[in-house]
Amino acid sequence: MLVIRRRPGEAVLIGSDVEIEILEASGSHVKLGIRAPREIPVVRKEIQLVEQQNRAASQKASAQGLSQLLHVLQRQNSHNTGKLR
Amino acid sequence: MPLVQNTQLGPLEYSSGDTIAFPFGIPGFDQEHEFVLVHSVAHQPLLFLQSTRTPELSFVTLPVAQIDPGYHLELTSDDSAALDHGEYLVLAILTAAENCPVTANMLAPVVINLTTRVALQAVRSDSRYSHCHVLGEPVCS
Repeated sequence: MLVIRRRPGEAVLIGSDVEIEILEASGSHVKLGIRAPREIPVVRKEIQLVEQQNRAASQKASAQGLSQLLHVLQRQNSHNTGKLR
Repeated sequence: MPLVQNTQLGPLEYSSGDTIAFPFGIPGFDQEHEFVLVHSVAHQPLLFLQSTRTPELSFVTLPVAQIDPGYHLELTSDDSAALDHGEYLVLAILTAAENCPVTANMLAPVVINLTTRVALQAVRSDSRYSHCHVLGEPVCS
């Protein structure tokens, strides 16, 4: 990983098409301004994690996995209902 | 009434009033802008989020309150503005792969504004919760 120190107002160039400028830095937050062509997607890193997870989740769910889960949930819910009476 | 084919439940009828708009889609499925939320008595408390555009696309979800009654929803300011005020239903998308424990995405719940029928998947920017929380285990880091 290349580590570069920058102050607010300073910028970094990636290739010939991408520029990242530090707009503000305070406390535990940094505000970044990003200039990149439309074709280059720029997203928070955790979005990619969620994309991968969504694709996995969209696969056909294991019937056995679901029925085991339902068993646990329905038992948990009927136990809670019992407590409320 | 329109009909859609759900892989778990078979053909489902729905009315246009049941649909939920996802103006931003969800990560990995940016073109999916409309879903219906399907209840099945045999499968409760699970809820199926079924795409009206793509019959093979449906997600198994569970209200986060069923996984962690103390779950604290943290929306980014963009998400909060996009959802607006209303009554929210907060769901975790489940992944149930063959021979693996079922996991819930607690990092990025689907938040549905039941009043406006607009929804999005709200990806947290903190690391309090996991994208693959194994059901049955303690929730927070």
